[in-house]
Amino acid sequence: MSAPTLKIDDLKLSFKTWSGTAQVLHGISLHIKKGERVALVGESGSGKSVTARIVLGMLQQLKSARIAGSVEFEGVNLETLKPASRHALRGTRMSMIFQDPTSSLNPVYPIFAQFKEVLERAQPGITNEKAREKAISALADVAINEPDRVLDSYAFQLSGGMNQRVMIAMALANNPALLLADEPGTALDVTVQAQTLKLMSELVKKHHTSVLFISHNLGVVREFADRVYVIYKGNIVEQGPTERLFDDPKHPYTRALLSAVPRITGGGIPDLDDDPGRFTAPLVAHEGYSERELLA
Amino acid sequence: MKKTLTILTRNPLSLIGLILVGIVVLSAIFADVITPFPEHVGAVVDFSNFNKPPQWPNIFGTDLVGRDLFTRVVYAYRISLVLGIVVLAIAVPVGVAIGLAAGYLGGWTEYLLMRITDVFLSIPPLVLAMSVMGLLEPTLTNGMIAVTVMWWPWYTRLVYNLARSEKEEGYVLAAEVIGASKAHIMVREILPNCVPSILTKMTLDFGFVILIASSLSFLGLGVQPPTPDLGSMVAEGAKYLPDSWWLTVFPGLAILIAVFGFNLIGDALREILGGDQ
Amino acid sequence: MIVLIGVSLLIFAIARVIPGDPARIALGPNATAEAVVALRDKLHLNDSFLAQYGYFIADLLRGDLGLSLYTNRPVMADIAQFLPATLELVIVSGIMMVAMGLPLGILSARHRGGWIDHTVRLVTLLGVSAPAFVWAVVLMLVFSYFIRIFPIAGRISDSFSIQTVTGFLLIDTLIAGDFRAFGNTVWHIILPAFALALSGIGQAARLVRSNMVETYDKPFIEMAQAYGFPEKRIARRYAFRPSLIPSLTIIGLDFAAMLGSAFLVEAVYAWPGLSRYGVAVILRKDLNAIVGTVLVISAMFLIVNLIVDLLVSIINPRIRLSQRAS
Repeated sequence: MSAPTLKIDDLKLSFKTWSGTAQVLHGISLHIKKGERVALVGESGSGKSVTARIVLGMLQQLKSARIAGSVEFEGVNLETLKPASRHALRGTRMSMIFQDPTSSLNPVYPIFAQFKEVLERAQPGITNEKAREKAISALADVAINEPDRVLDSYAFQLSGGMNQRVMIAMALANNPALLLADEPGTALDVTVQAQTLKLMSELVKKHHTSVLFISHNLGVVREFADRVYVIYKGNIVEQGPTERLFDDPKHPYTRALLSAVPRITGGGIPDLDDDPGRFTAPLVAHEGYSERELLA
Repeated sequence: MKKTLTILTRNPLSLIGLILVGIVVLSAIFADVITPFPEHVGAVVDFSNFNKPPQWPNIFGTDLVGRDLFTRVVYAYRISLVLGIVVLAIAVPVGVAIGLAAGYLGGWTEYLLMRITDVFLSIPPLVLAMSVMGLLEPTLTNGMIAVTVMWWPWYTRLVYNLARSEKEEGYVLAAEVIGASKAHIMVREILPNCVPSILTKMTLDFGFVILIASSLSFLGLGVQPPTPDLGSMVAEGAKYLPDSWWLTVFPGLAILIAVFGFNLIGDALREILGGDQ
Repeated sequence: MIVLIGVSLLIFAIARVIPGDPARIALGPNATAEAVVALRDKLHLNDSFLAQYGYFIADLLRGDLGLSLYTNRPVMADIAQFLPATLELVIVSGIMMVAMGLPLGILSARHRGGWIDHTVRLVTLLGVSAPAFVWAVVLMLVFSYFIRIFPIAGRISDSFSIQTVTGFLLIDTLIAGDFRAFGNTVWHIILPAFALALSGIGQAARLVRSNMVETYDKPFIEMAQAYGFPEKRIARRYAFRPSLIPSLTIIGLDFAAMLGSAFLVEAVYAWPGLSRYGVAVILRKDLNAIVGTVLVISAMFLIVNLIVDLLVSIINPRIRLSQRAS
């Protein structure tokens, strides 16, 4: 069996501040196999987003960040790579989709200029014609029927949903092995978000791209992920296959999280577990879904 | 306020600024005590000691009529600081009041006030002060008037922009809904939210007022001799370069130190309080 | 346009409210009462303020700013003689400001928080903390007296005689095809232009830095980093270009402010520009000349700001596209 696309082992992160160190990740472990779609779920500030940034190597440059533990990408420990070869993975083998598509695109260049920059990561020196051809076919994949108009527009001229499709097309243009999706489309209308996520889901299935899907939206996670890790204050508290985790949450925090979702069928705001002390209970893995069992 | 001061003393750069400004202000206040020849402020002549390079007791040397340069520089600080205080004490309230009115009231008030402000802003600052000065007699009071005339529009513009964005904030709408008067909203609701930016700008401007005033007197359009003034000292000394270098270097350095000090504090304040560019 | 009318009205009003009778000042203390009355009539001084302003504007539109009481020549001719030297100095300074201020700001922002950043910030703050005449004196002392590499004063050495065509010596020497004279002019302008540019360089660098640092926090920078675009390219295309738009307006203002500071530098370097004329006419209360000088400088100021607005609308796609649509 080949090495998993991503394997994070006992990852710790802390920031040095004026008033001492702030521990953000307390040693989390997770992995994603090839073609697998894994969700990391938690509330804001739980450490979801920093995890994705560590995988890309974007936090390492901060002087105040202290990182321990290992991140393996396709069997290679990223810490052992030279900075240049690690940098070479970004935008080529791994890519990322952000929360707000419109503000994630450069406002002073048209879409094509950025698309070409993305394509240049995989093919340095790509010609304008070739880049345009590739961009048009990538946009066709995300169901954009006027690719030329979109490529010559600026992000502020397009709708949020359109920009989101552009982002998805860019993220998958170089056929990466790993896609990090950080709260994709949270800034969009719910219906638009649903549409674009469906598109993304179909595309990653087609390309066998592994996905780390970071979200606080349980409904979206349920639709989209094969497996789920629940993170609370820098610790993974529960992990398991999506269906079982949703039907039978075992950890007090996961239960609270699930019951916090207002039901469309009514019944008012559910009672929340008002004893957060219990949320820090140790990790619960569903049967057969602990890291040890899955990676055996 | 106290917290701001603590942060200022902790940052090495703003601490240097505080120290420099402290030295300037204290020496201006205690000029009579710390200077060796306080009588040299006036039209004193001591030809036995004229044009001497720095040496004890004339640590900055003496000028062409034998007056102690250090004494005159310290007294010039006193005049510069008074000028800065007076100019800002008039320009800031005027500019802020006009900016508040234009920004909050809107309509033709806004149009009229802002066009007038634009007129003042479209003459280069120094040139405006120069022409006002040229039409008046070059004295300290008129110098203050000239600098004040060029200064208020900048506060109008700052407060105008702030007031226009604050106007849309929830707290202003809330005050309008409960029927507060326009004067109350401008002075008690909007103004307090502009204070941090105004304070930051004032700190930076204190240095720049000194700078502009010295530029005016450098051109002979400001304080007249024998009153000591940094700008006119540099102008006078520049004629005797390079031999009598101390005549220009020390007054020039004195301007630099004062303005630099205020800028360091203003810069730090801008980072702490936020404020205009 | 409204602003220019306002400026002329303001200057004119200031010029008219001052105490003293311009006719009496012009003719001197020994003039007869009849002569004064005659001149008052000729200068329309007995008419109402608005009528006087009307005459003034009518003359202005014909390019007539009146006679200078100090040089006894048309103010327009005086200004035409002295303005090119000042403009040449200001333009060279402006080029220095952009050519040195922007790269310093970019450098500082790219290394934000590091020692390079701190050094640049400190040096640029020093640059803005002294008036141009102090820098002029310091530079002269260091580079003209102690290390004798630059001339002390003037625009060109006396040994050259160049036909005046444009009044801009840098251009006139080239028209004359005299490259030694051109070199000599360059050699003369470096120090005064740098003294004038120093505070502008500081302002520009500080402005670009702070705008860029703000831009570095934007999501599209994170996106560029996540996709591994080269750091230099991110600095140039993602951080600098968007922050140039707000910076440019202020840099234009700084550039225009040099028109004022040029007076200070010209005084130190005996630069034969508008400064000596301006100060002389101010001290002599030569009203026509004061009004004319201030008007011309304000017009330059407005032209610079117009050019800047135009540039901003070219580099900002939002404005460019909205203009095309309308």
